[in-house]
Amino acid sequence: MKRQPNKPEKRKGFPLLLPIILVFCVFGTIVFSVSQQIVREMSESAIQNLSESLDLIESTIEAILRSEAEFQTLIAQEIARVEDPEEYIRSYEKNQTMSKMSLILSGKTEGVSNTGVRFTEEELDFSAGGTVMGLPVSKSYLNYMGTWSYTIKCPVERDGREIGTLYAEYIYDAIDRSLPNGFYNKQASLYIMDAESRRFVLKPKGMGQRSAGHLNLADFYQANDIKDPGIQAEVDACLENGENILFYHDIRNVRALSYMWAVNGGTIFLVGYVPVQAIQREGKTVNQNIFIVVASMLAAFFLCILLYYLNWRQQDKLRREREEERRVHSQQLADALQAAQIASESKTTFLSNMSHDIRTPMNAVLGFTTLLDKDAENPAKVREYTRKIMASGQHLLSLINDILDVSKIESGKVVLNLEKFALNDVVSSVEAIIQPMAKARKQEFHLEVTGVRHEYLVGDETRINQILINLLSNAVKYTPEKGHIWFRIIGLKQRSSQYQHIRIEVEDDGYGMTPEYLKTIFDAFTRAENSTTNKVQGTGLGMAITKSIVELMGGTIEVFSEVDRGTLFRVDLELRIQEEQADRQFWKQRGVSQILVVDGDPESRESIRALMEETGVQMDTAADGREAADWLRSGGDCQLALLDWETCGLPAAKELREALPTGVPILFLAEFGAENTEEALEIPRTGVLTKPFFASALREKAEELWTEPGKQDASEAEEDGGLEEIRFLAAEDNEINAEILAELLEIEGASCEIVENGLLAVERFQRSEEGEFDAILMDVQMPVMSGHEAARAIRSLEREDAKRIPIIAMTANAFAEDEKAALDAGMDAHVPKPLNMELLKKVIRQCIRREEPQ
Amino acid sequence: MRPFLKRRARRGAAGLLALLAALSLTACGGSEPDVNLLPQDEEEERVVNLFSPMEKTDPNAENVARTASDLTVAMAEEKLGITMVYRTYTAEDYQDKTYDEVTLDRARNNMDDLYLLNPDIVLALGAEGKLMDLSGLDSAKNLRDIIRVANTVDGKLVAIPQEVVAYGLFLNMDLFNRYGLALPETPEEFLECCRVFQENGIETPIGANRWWLETFVFAQAYADLYNGGNTEAEIAALNSGEAKYSDYMRPGFEFLQTLIDRGYIDAEKALVSEAIEAEGPDFLAGKTPIVMAYWGAANTETSYGKTDFEMRVIGFPTDRGQMPVMPMTGLAVGAEAEHREDAAKVLNIMTSDEALQVYSETNRVISPSKNVKVDCVPALRPLNERIEAGVYVLGSNASMHVEQWGNTCRIVRQLLGGATVDECMAAFDELQAKTLS
Repeated sequence: MKRQPNKPEKRKGFPLLLPIILVFCVFGTIVFSVSQQIVREMSESAIQNLSESLDLIESTIEAILRSEAEFQTLIAQEIARVEDPEEYIRSYEKNQTMSKMSLILSGKTEGVSNTGVRFTEEELDFSAGGTVMGLPVSKSYLNYMGTWSYTIKCPVERDGREIGTLYAEYIYDAIDRSLPNGFYNKQASLYIMDAESRRFVLKPKGMGQRSAGHLNLADFYQANDIKDPGIQAEVDACLENGENILFYHDIRNVRALSYMWAVNGGTIFLVGYVPVQAIQREGKTVNQNIFIVVASMLAAFFLCILLYYLNWRQQDKLRREREEERRVHSQQLADALQAAQIASESKTTFLSNMSHDIRTPMNAVLGFTTLLDKDAENPAKVREYTRKIMASGQHLLSLINDILDVSKIESGKVVLNLEKFALNDVVSSVEAIIQPMAKARKQEFHLEVTGVRHEYLVGDETRINQILINLLSNAVKYTPEKGHIWFRIIGLKQRSSQYQHIRIEVEDDGYGMTPEYLKTIFDAFTRAENSTTNKVQGTGLGMAITKSIVELMGGTIEVFSEVDRGTLFRVDLELRIQEEQADRQFWKQRGVSQILVVDGDPESRESIRALMEETGVQMDTAADGREAADWLRSGGDCQLALLDWETCGLPAAKELREALPTGVPILFLAEFGAENTEEALEIPRTGVLTKPFFASALREKAEELWTEPGKQDASEAEEDGGLEEIRFLAAEDNEINAEILAELLEIEGASCEIVENGLLAVERFQRSEEGEFDAILMDVQMPVMSGHEAARAIRSLEREDAKRIPIIAMTANAFAEDEKAALDAGMDAHVPKPLNMELLKKVIRQCIRREEPQ
Repeated sequence: MRPFLKRRARRGAAGLLALLAALSLTACGGSEPDVNLLPQDEEEERVVNLFSPMEKTDPNAENVARTASDLTVAMAEEKLGITMVYRTYTAEDYQDKTYDEVTLDRARNNMDDLYLLNPDIVLALGAEGKLMDLSGLDSAKNLRDIIRVANTVDGKLVAIPQEVVAYGLFLNMDLFNRYGLALPETPEEFLECCRVFQENGIETPIGANRWWLETFVFAQAYADLYNGGNTEAEIAALNSGEAKYSDYMRPGFEFLQTLIDRGYIDAEKALVSEAIEAEGPDFLAGKTPIVMAYWGAANTETSYGKTDFEMRVIGFPTDRGQMPVMPMTGLAVGAEAEHREDAAKVLNIMTSDEALQVYSETNRVISPSKNVKVDCVPALRPLNERIEAGVYVLGSNASMHVEQWGNTCRIVRQLLGGATVDECMAAFDELQAKTLS
């Protein structure tokens, strides 16, 4: 199914974003409209507020003017009543309101003042036509006190006839006294301007910035940067018409309301400005609070969005993780299913193969058994049939062993049995098995050992054997007749002084493998060809077992192969080095300090020198017999001579024999199955050592040469001996097996008493007299009491021989761990079933021999 | 969620809750209001009225002189808890009453408490007994002797200045250099400079107003009197009538007449021009190479504190070389003023060494206190050097019985108005006779 990643997520993002934007827009619009509304209302409120304040001041001033006019009218009435009006004026004292009083009688141009100076109307200007309660008021002027003032004139009438005019001068300072102390917290400025002259006649105290003192309207414009001709024209019109004007104008970057407020019908004006903030002191707080509320709401909103987003991201992450997990699970399930299917298929194939493979030898066994029954009287046929039954049985056994091996490896139950071993023994035993097989198929088998410095190692010898036999038997199987097989043991450079790094190569020029098959060669239940159609027999488990064992040993296995060109298996192992004191001691004890090597191949000479490096023996070399003889005659000395048979041959052997002292033995180094060595062996004190060889092999061979020939023969004869007069107690629950065992032992001249389980064996041994039995053969899996328990019970008996009587396990449990379990239970040895008489004999002899010295 | 994000989110939430809690507490809090909502702690305000001139306002310029004065006023207000109320008057044009006339009227009618007075007004009001004797103030003890003498009338110290006002000639050195002219020392050299300027197309080399041309007269009239070593005797002779003021004044008037006759001064224009307002723009524009002004004008942006050319201030040309002219403006307290006691206290602080230090540093002027010394701007150095050398004339002297600064100004205006030098000298003789009688 096609997946469409990301697309659904994008679709999720948009629907969320749109409502957010919408909410923002709505919220922004509401806030904007509310703030606009507030600004509008505050502006209207400011205008109204200022208008009311100015109205109040206007009313105050007008009230003062009216009271002045009323006062003056009363004075005029009083003057009209007195006899000498001029005297009245002269005697009138000035007061705070009225700074000067003058009178010009009708028909005169000059009059008198209460200040004592002469008075004329010339200094006064009534042309503007301003009045207070119908009385004319003059243009403002600086009076004799140096302060701005105005004069109101009032007719003095007596009996309805005007007898003169009363002039009263009032100073603007008097108005100041009646005005409030401070205007908008002293932030506003206020001047009283004479409309006619446009001069500022009063700056009431506490009104506005004290540093600003203006002369007139032009100065006010200049100081406050009011340059707009439109505003100035508007102001002019208002001054002309005695109307009020209010307008916004920034004064020193502060928004302010400027005003021209008509008083007394426009004869004087209140002029100034008020910073809007001064009117709307609460406005700032309101705005700040609105801002805080909006900011808080926005912060809360964003916080919610953030939390939502984080939550969504978390959920999304979890969802994706779950999806990924599900996907991985599905994949794993699919893989597992596929693996299971393949495994099932493989196992079906395997079972089919096994069925065939097991049936084939079984068929042979049963078939030949039938024939045996018929031809029992014919000894030649009986022998032939039993041989074939034996071969089929062996094949069946190997099949079963492999299957069990795989089963154990797969279940992880394999345990390595690490013991000291000599590489020489391994190579020799493998060679002894493979060489005949190769020979049977007319193949050439080459064994090469190079660069191995340490022969004595620690490892699981059996398993190493298994690896080598698997690889080599495969090579033999899959190489046609007259093919070649190379078995190489190569000592690699040591990575640690404690470990020998060994490379084992098994190469053939056989059928080879396809690249596809190479990929599965180490898998269990596979085989190059289907066994039903191939003559080559096998379980198909060998390579899987091999690889598992190599890996268990911490090694690596590689394979290189080409169809019809051959195959190369390469196994690298690191095995712990065992001290080789025995070798060194041997040569020292024998008094061997020098060995002469005669070999035509320089590489071979060098290889032998390296091999013996650890022994402390000096290795002298010569390329041929002549050189060796010359060297000896010229004073060279040696206690042993090695001569390569292939490169030097018989003449050199003879030449060397002549040159050497009589007691010094010569060992011919010959390849396996080398021909014509018999003649050479006729030369005294000579022997043959198969190439390639290890130090231990050389040591053993040399020892043979120095040992008495008779002694060796006796020992060999003993090896071949039977089991005469040995009495066995055997515990075996299976009747057939018990019968076979009894028969076989009888054939070998031994006697045997069979019991059915471990308990009976213990009881029988308990009842026996000392020396009645020479050894006990113990099956392991038995009813009532197992072999292990029985062995422990016997060992724990308080009899002198209970501790030393050999107990040998005989069991179908044939693995290393089974052997270990048997030994742990107190048994002396372990012999696997089906019973191999030769092996049994060998083990029994060893056990009895061990017992003898005691 | 990642751990640090969790922590951050928790912190944010905690912070928000804390803020909300704080806001709620603020909203719920607040003290119980009194029954009477009006503030109760208002005291009766102590006020001192200060009457002083004010230059016409330029919104874009800083008036340093004003600032310096304001600083000392603020100092007094802070120390005494008194509010100073500024009152001012400036003539709109020549037809208006002058500041001096208004001051006289106001002082005579006790309209204000503290006045900033020109020297002639100091003398006039002092003689009328309208000014308080300030000799008892602490600040008076720090005054330079010449300042004390110049402000003493009938044995009373009637005014104390915040700065020593020195008048000089303000020269556009770019123009002087362009025409290879040296700084004039004598009247002849000055006339030669004017001639060269005029020949080079500057028709009226001297910018003048109706106030300050008298400085030319004073320089030439009293150069010998104040620098000849016989000052007291010569003043005594003038006061007794043995010597005539007109004899002293004549050379200066004749010199002015020459300047007018040769067109170096536009007499008609000068007669109706206010100080700086009329001649300032042409001087700043580089059209007029010479104007006369007071020391502080060189420091004040509203005057000549910021020019596009190199400016130099020198004394007026006399036979004794460049001569600074120093009239004594001063702060005085009305003898019968409503708040005279407070006004005196204010003045004591405004003229204390501490205040004068601030004033002089801000305004870069010569301090009347002998304890205060401040560097001047480079342009003023030629003038300052002469003053520091003790070479100057006084524009006013209370010890002369004929008031000098106001009267001379008035008579110079007559000359500008077309009167002859002889007529002007007759006016002086008349004044002297009036005083003697």
